[in-house]
Amino acid sequence: MAIGAERYGSRADTAAFVVCVVLALVALALPAAVRTPVASALRRTVLLPAVAVEAEAASAREQRQSLTTLREQRDSLALAAARLPALEEENAELRALLRLRGRLQVGFATAEVLHQTGLADGLTLLLSAGRDAGVAPLAAVVAPSGLVGMIIAVDPHTSVAMAWTHPDFRVSATVVGDGVYGIVAARRGSAGGEVMELTGVPYRDALAPGTPVVTSGLGGVFPRGIPIGSVVGLLSEAAGWERTYLLRAAAPPAAVSHVLILSRSLAGDSLGAAFDTATAADTTQPPGGVVPAAPAARRARPRPARPPVPVSPGTSGPRPAGTPGPRPAGTSGPRPAGQP
Amino acid sequence: MKLTGSRLKLYGVLLLLVLAHVALRPRYMPSRYAPDFMLIALLFFAIRSRPGAGAVAGFLVGLLTDAVAPSGFGAGAFALTIVGFLAGWLKALVFPDNLLVNAVFVFAASWLRDALMVAASGALRGGDLGGRLLVVSPLDALSTAAAAVVALVIFRPWLRAAPAL
Repeated sequence: MAIGAERYGSRADTAAFVVCVVLALVALALPAAVRTPVASALRRTVLLPAVAVEAEAASAREQRQSLTTLREQRDSLALAAARLPALEEENAELRALLRLRGRLQVGFATAEVLHQTGLADGLTLLLSAGRDAGVAPLAAVVAPSGLVGMIIAVDPHTSVAMAWTHPDFRVSATVVGDGVYGIVAARRGSAGGEVMELTGVPYRDALAPGTPVVTSGLGGVFPRGIPIGSVVGLLSEAAGWERTYLLRAAAPPAAVSHVLILSRSLAGDSLGAAFDTATAADTTQPPGGVVPAAPAARRARPRPARPPVPVSPGTSGPRPAGTPGPRPAGTSGPRPAGQP
Repeated sequence: MKLTGSRLKLYGVLLLLVLAHVALRPRYMPSRYAPDFMLIALLFFAIRSRPGAGAVAGFLVGLLTDAVAPSGFGAGAFALTIVGFLAGWLKALVFPDNLLVNAVFVFAASWLRDALMVAASGALRGGDLGGRLLVVSPLDALSTAAAAVVALVIFRPWLRAAPAL
């Protein structure tokens, strides 16, 4: 066929074109009542395989999208579930803190622990409350479960607390329901970690495992009755003089995220009621007074009868010169530089 | 009409394009700018056919397309009849092996199809009509032209020997 004929086509081509155009215009002009059945008939006959394949393809795409969505939802749920234990733990801690706030009522500032550097380095804690919140140096830092540390530096909006894990930290302690006093410090080293040792316990006083140890209120830094820990067992004993006990801490700093910073005005009070340690804090006579008789359950072995012994604050009896042990009265808290 | 091997190959390519339109496009190309494989198949057929055959093929494809979207029933048939006829009429100007010419040809045909459909159906006016013809239709035409080039590259050995009908 010549190029001219190819280009312009034949009469038959033109006729076919005109017929098709006319038919298309007729289809366009059909009323809806007619065109709808015609279209429906086409879909049900000629287009049935194509419509079926297209529907199958669309369904497959929807299933793929649904699968992707389900996977995303599953991943999100897995992520949320992974965070759930931490959230529950934080929730429980905050609830306990709220209960403690309700019991304390006044004389504290709440703070968040901003940087916890872990077990090994958690010697100091940066807290989110500072001078503007009434925080002062030497203020006690407590968690619902017990003593965390004390404030050593205060900025307008933040403060730094020395945790009890710090090597320089000391607190005068007493035994719940007993007249036993001693000094609590962190125990680090081979048997260390986040455990404490109670030193300076008179040789005549034997403590059973599980015995709660709280702050004695001596020294004017920490109020009485704040839980410190509980006795795990005997660590060592200097023959005839004193015993040293291993304590399990009540409030490991690494596990604390929210704390209360107690006002310095509470230093002379007893917080036994707030921490449910009222028995110890309020029945135990302060040093210098008469030590009450110890309950039999607290004694591992009976003590011989003895006259009332004046107890120096922070110590539980005399000790030989040069013997390492508790510091003199009023030295709860950080030791001065150079002091062993 | 005798079905030669080359003609069978052409029909095979057209069948694959139709399958791509009904099976691949809904599954993997849900975008509104997805290529129109039916139009590509029509153009591949029309460009290798007489104008009358292209017009009839365009009418049938348009009618089937309208059956799926009956609101503009007849508009697709009208538009594709003209496009098919023009494709057959212009085949002497289109070099089947030239990718660029084919791309421009498919782009123009796609845009013309849209313009004719919009004009015939009267569904759009004013800004909508302008947006359709100046934005949506060119993007549609662009994706269809790109798909036509890909199809041409893939099936070139089968299409090169396909004779005019």
